[in-house]
Amino acid sequence: MRLLLALGMCGLLAAQVKLPPYTREVLPNGTVLYFMHRGGIPLVRFLVVVKGGSEADPAGRSGLAAITAELLRRGTAQYSAAQFSEEVDGLGGTLFANASEQATTVSAEFLSKDFDRGLALVSQAILHPSFPEDEVRKTVARRVDSLKSAKDNPGAAIRSFYDTFFFGANHPYGRVPDEASYDHIQRAQIVESHQRLFVGKNLIVIVAGDFDPAAAKASVVKTFGSVPAGEAFSYLAAAAVPRPSAPRVLLIDKPDATQTYFVIAQPGVRRSTPDRVPLILVNTLFGGRFTSMINDALRVNSGLTYGASSSVQMGRLDGAITINSYTKTDTTEKAIDMALDVLKSFGEKGMTAEQLASVKAYVKGEYPTATVQTADQIAGVLSEMELYGLGRDEVDEYFARIDAVTLEQVNAVARKYFRADDLTFVLLGNAAKIRDVARKYGTVTEKLARLPGWAPVTSQ
Amino acid sequence: MRVIGVILLLVGCLMGQSNIQTQTLANGMKVIVQEDHAIPNVAMYFFFKVGSRNEHPGATGVSHFFEHMMFNGAKKYGPKEFDRNMEKNGGSNNAYTSNDVTVYTDWFPSSALELMFDMEADRIGDLAFDPKMIASERGVVYSERRSSVDNSNFGLLRELAEASAFEAHPYHWPVLGWPSDIESWTMEDLKSHWSMGYAPNNCVMVIVGDVNFDNVMALSRKFLEPIPRREPPPPVRTKEPEQLGERRVTLDKPAQLPIQLVLYHIPDSRDPDTPVLDVISNILSNGQSSRLYKRLVDSQMAISANGGFGEALDPTVFTFSIQPRTGIDPAQTEKALFEELSKLQGEPVSEAELSKAKNQMLANMYRRLKTIQGRANLLGTYEVFYGGYARAFDEDKRVDAVTAADIQRVARKYFGAKNRTVATLVPEKPEVKP
Repeated sequence: MRLLLALGMCGLLAAQVKLPPYTREVLPNGTVLYFMHRGGIPLVRFLVVVKGGSEADPAGRSGLAAITAELLRRGTAQYSAAQFSEEVDGLGGTLFANASEQATTVSAEFLSKDFDRGLALVSQAILHPSFPEDEVRKTVARRVDSLKSAKDNPGAAIRSFYDTFFFGANHPYGRVPDEASYDHIQRAQIVESHQRLFVGKNLIVIVAGDFDPAAAKASVVKTFGSVPAGEAFSYLAAAAVPRPSAPRVLLIDKPDATQTYFVIAQPGVRRSTPDRVPLILVNTLFGGRFTSMINDALRVNSGLTYGASSSVQMGRLDGAITINSYTKTDTTEKAIDMALDVLKSFGEKGMTAEQLASVKAYVKGEYPTATVQTADQIAGVLSEMELYGLGRDEVDEYFARIDAVTLEQVNAVARKYFRADDLTFVLLGNAAKIRDVARKYGTVTEKLARLPGWAPVTSQ
Repeated sequence: MRVIGVILLLVGCLMGQSNIQTQTLANGMKVIVQEDHAIPNVAMYFFFKVGSRNEHPGATGVSHFFEHMMFNGAKKYGPKEFDRNMEKNGGSNNAYTSNDVTVYTDWFPSSALELMFDMEADRIGDLAFDPKMIASERGVVYSERRSSVDNSNFGLLRELAEASAFEAHPYHWPVLGWPSDIESWTMEDLKSHWSMGYAPNNCVMVIVGDVNFDNVMALSRKFLEPIPRREPPPPVRTKEPEQLGERRVTLDKPAQLPIQLVLYHIPDSRDPDTPVLDVISNILSNGQSSRLYKRLVDSQMAISANGGFGEALDPTVFTFSIQPRTGIDPAQTEKALFEELSKLQGEPVSEAELSKAKNQMLANMYRRLKTIQGRANLLGTYEVFYGGYARAFDEDKRVDAVTAADIQRVARKYFGAKNRTVATLVPEKPEVKP
């Protein structure tokens, strides 16, 4: 007992982890540069973030940013797609590009000795892609086929069905690429969106790891300093997350499924919410760790599932709070009822001082390993700071902010966000066997999983 | 020259032998420690040399089930207490089971070190076998099986493919166990499995992070050394007989796209051909310039195409995994794969291609060293599968020694038609039109 108490105290007094030294500067064309040097492992990471992302996709052309990202390395001014890949792989390097809701990210890593060659490849991909017509065609066709592959895999597919249904077509997070939107994407739009978005005012370039700081700075400034400033992408100020006036259910039919996958969703917050830290603590206790209330009920106590969790989306726009789990077909009702019971009881009773102390220690204990251990992780933190307009206090003061959260605060936050009324349910499973169960939770809309599109009405 | 520079770097900065200290406790448990004070956290990994290869028909999956039971209460810390105490002291954990090993992975602030020793020693030495917890955990394991096998086309096909490639050796059955065994293993099965598998002399503990070696050893002697030595698992006697002809199996399942797995028998991890096979796996499928990517993915025949193998104590399989595109007959992707393998057998790879693969492998080795978790896993894996953690330090030397001729020789030796199993998931068309 004494041992535990002493350790508990240590946990409470855990030393704040600080961001290591780094530099930030803004070039005349608007490009923001960060350098974070760390010796040891002879690798260097280039993380380039371009503002826009899928939010910039025009109506009916969801997937444009994603396809543009994928094509950056498939042919450039200097290299064919094949040559580019030979170069990257030949150096033992990696270069991945993808689009998130708010930005396109190119993440490349090379051996430190190959700094200049690595930077040249990154620069080719970001600033000089040629988007050859046949590569565009192949990429689009492969993505359409990948949708089929995704729909064969219920654990992965439910996410897209859910995003489409919950957010709807008026919120950027609800515009998930599908067969129809890919089909409308042409090379000319890719070229146009690249020219418009990949400009100085939208660029964040982060170099992290082991490199020669003076030489690195000179070559990075030379590479990105001459990019046209262009126009900064203007993000949507806000997008309303629909809160339905009555509970609603989307039932996705996969007749061969032997278990039901489910998401229970309600409106949440954005990254800049003042409730961020208490909400992280609240979610950790409710569904963000192994001993969380929801996993304890559905997995540990009842053996209904291998895993149950909750998550709070914190993007640039308001997002959702979700409960996620799965269970065998004939315990669908039992598992969903149990999840709802836990949700209701949490909203009513909140957490205890002891639980608050435990989640505070957990969040702080996990943070160094998960967030600021490697050069890659730190590059990620810096990009988030820049993208969301945050300061280094996000890291340096994080533990103090956690310590300052009171029981009253977390319980107010729990009541405010973890509500049990007017929820959105998405169930993916054998509809013939769970249709009646689905009706119990709200008005049901149905869709057959293997049909094209994610929305219940494909013309949407 | 490159190689020597690399070794100096590895030894001097990252994995330096002076920086790694080991000791074996009186009960036979080996302790490997690397001090690293960059962050105030610790990775503590326990490698038990027991996995599904040590099971028998009727009780398949019991190693994996045990991985779950280790979190369900022991003598001092009852049900739920391991996780609760760990999390409230800032720690988190996971565990994994393979054909060969069961590994427990703990990450926590260094302030929780003594608590972790106390709790780990409690469950390793005095696990409780509560029938109620066993019943509930069966449900959890079933759910895990439903997700990763029954409702995963890839998982289901892989199970079938491995059961077909291995007829005699225990790699025949899945790590998760056959469904009927999950339902019916007994308390006796569980107890005897624990007794052999969790003998301290059957375990390697690796600690990397914000610790002091002497302190770790003092805690090890206090908490772990009193656990008595026991009989470890008996040797696995059955050897897979040589395969004498191609095997083909199909799985009919509702799906939109087929999947194809092609398995070739290869030796265990300690075999000198392993680094050659590793280079081959990189040449074939690491990156968009790899041979299979170009031949199958870039050519529009497949969504994905990969080939590789994992660590194994006994002879294992090299597995190719291909998902053909809509309208592409798996016979076509299969033919393309076989042609690529013939090419590997018939023509020496160029110097540039060989050096590309070696650079990729070198960079990947560095990537594994970035985190305390990555290093703990690397040290434990080398200790268990390659005959000593120090083998990790000169892995690049073995890789660098691989020649174009080695690649041809090894490709001819293993990638023959008689040595392969081809498993294909054939999509079943839905009976009712929408």
